Amino acid sequence: MPENLAIRIEDLSIKYKINVDTKRTLKNAVMRASKGEAVRTRTVEAIKHLTMDLPHGSVLGIVGANGAGKSTLMRSIAGILPPTEGRIIVNGKISTLLALGVGFNPALSGRDNIILGGLASGMTREEIESKTDEIAEFADLPDGFIDMPVRTYSSGMYGRVAFSVAVSMKPDILLLDEALSAGDASFKEKSFNKMRELCAEARTIIIVSHALATINDLCDRAIWMNKGTLVQDGKPDAVVEDYLKFLKVGTLPSNYEDM
Amino acid sequence: MSNTTANPEFSPNLQVFEPHKASLPPLVPYLKEFWKRRAFAIELSRFADKAEYLDSKFGKVWLILNPLLLAMIYFLLVTVLRGGMKSNQGITTLAHILIGLFTFYFAQSCISAGATSITAGGRLILNQAFPRALLPFSSTISAFYQFLPTLPVYIAVVVIGKWVFPSTQIPGFTWSYLWIPFIIACVGITGFGLSLVFATMNVYFRDTNKLLSYFMRIWLYASPVLWLPEMLHGWHRTILFINPLGPVLSSTSNVWIKGINPTPGELVGCIAWALGSLLIGGYFFISRERDFAVRI
Ligand SMILES: Nc1ncnc2c1ncn2[C@@H]1O[C@H](COP(=O)(O)OP(=O)(O)OP(=O)(O)O)[C@@H](O)[C@H]1O
Ligand SMILES: [Mg+2]
Repeated sequence: MPENLAIRIEDLSIKYKINVDTKRTLKNAVMRASKGEAVRTRTVEAIKHLTMDLPHGSVLGIVGANGAGKSTLMRSIAGILPPTEGRIIVNGKISTLLALGVGFNPALSGRDNIILGGLASGMTREEIESKTDEIAEFADLPDGFIDMPVRTYSSGMYGRVAFSVAVSMKPDILLLDEALSAGDASFKEKSFNKMRELCAEARTIIIVSHALATINDLCDRAIWMNKGTLVQDGKPDAVVEDYLKFLKVGTLPSNYEDM
Repeated sequence: MSNTTANPEFSPNLQVFEPHKASLPPLVPYLKEFWKRRAFAIELSRFADKAEYLDSKFGKVWLILNPLLLAMIYFLLVTVLRGGMKSNQGITTLAHILIGLFTFYFAQSCISAGATSITAGGRLILNQAFPRALLPFSSTISAFYQFLPTLPVYIAVVVIGKWVFPSTQIPGFTWSYLWIPFIIACVGITGFGLSLVFATMNVYFRDTNKLLSYFMRIWLYASPVLWLPEMLHGWHRTILFINPLGPVLSSTSNVWIKGINPTPGELVGCIAWALGSLLIGGYFFISRERDFAVRI
């Protein structure tokens, strides 16, 4: 893989196998087997033959309708979902903020969750403990809330802490899936600045967002996914414009057939 | 593919994700990652306890009281079924049931908490990549820390018992106590190994942990806790050894109640079950864990 690439995706396909039948229990399995029925499954192709290269230091935006496969792509880049076909090569340390809150435990305080999240992502205890204050400061919660159980947080406060944890990991590659949707204007400003700072350090960022202005604002490249395939890849304003057109009229761009 | 492909083994930052069949991932990096994040498992177990008992001051007391009361009930049942017994024998029976039950519960809580650790870890599993075996491992650590305070309780009961009934045969401190850490380690490893099996099964069949609770009850009756290992003779003794907890429980009884060392046969049984369940459970779990995120 060329040195300058952060991520290379080669002919990636990901399929989910869903049991159509009721609950997946041993009881049902035995019942079905005794009646000689096979398990009925449905296969959902979330990503179909996607190929893409992403150089270091780029900020990629991903747009697409609900169910287009954006979160699935992010999870596979993070190494959480294994590819069904093809392969992904990632060069660098990854920090993920996939959906809100990296499995935050609602009964624990924000501070405890920060420590837990840091340890899970492979930091040592000293590293994460030296950073908790910095993270708490960046999240800038109202008085003392960082030591309150997370269940008492508003969704914006939750999002603030999660984002602060993700950026504090000093990742080479930062994956943000709808991470900025709950923050208020002032935190949005702050997080945009933080991301620009990360870009300046040649870190790679991938942002999934339905707020198209965010994509336009932050990214230097955008892709549009539709039903698991790559529809368009280019400058954010062009991609967003075509995507908006598609949302209104429902037509895919004319050059789509060639891709 | 370009010619400059680095070997992921040598460049720690380069990761390659490829399709897999039901086979093991490269084990050395897996175990390295596992070891690197052991602090996560320890912290997770501490925080899980904290979350569970955050609102209850008596949580820890209850952890001890619960098996203690159960042991009393079992003791009464056993004594009544046998039609009563002499008082100095009674305290021996009680002590046997008590230490057996505490040890069995250690294994049981490894297994039953570990079994649900993957299905309960939904968000964490969907959003972060880490060796999944850390979650059952964290349950084992929790179980261990819940087990530790029951030992002083046992000792207190024995001390009081010896004081009230000086004629009892229960030994005081003996050198065979040095086997105790070994036995506890075997219980923990066996429990961890089996929890890997059930955690995997629970991902595929969500009623596994329900079945498990019945299964554990039968298992308790089949183990030398409510009866003595020496009640079995000849080929009946195989019952002790086909039970994953049989050798450790009869060693427990030997060391604590009789003050003698475990027999060589028991020691082999302890080690065989510990290593066997760890290897089989580990293979079963690790070869399937990349499937968990899709099935959760
Ligand atoms: N855990 C799962 N099990 C089965 N199918 C799934 C699972 N997660 C997603 N899918 C399917 O995969 C497809 C892509 O889903 P994905 O979550 O990647 O979409 P998305 O682009 O992130 O959508 P959104 O904008 O709503 O977040 C959908 O058809 C969805 O039904
Ligand atoms: Mg999504």
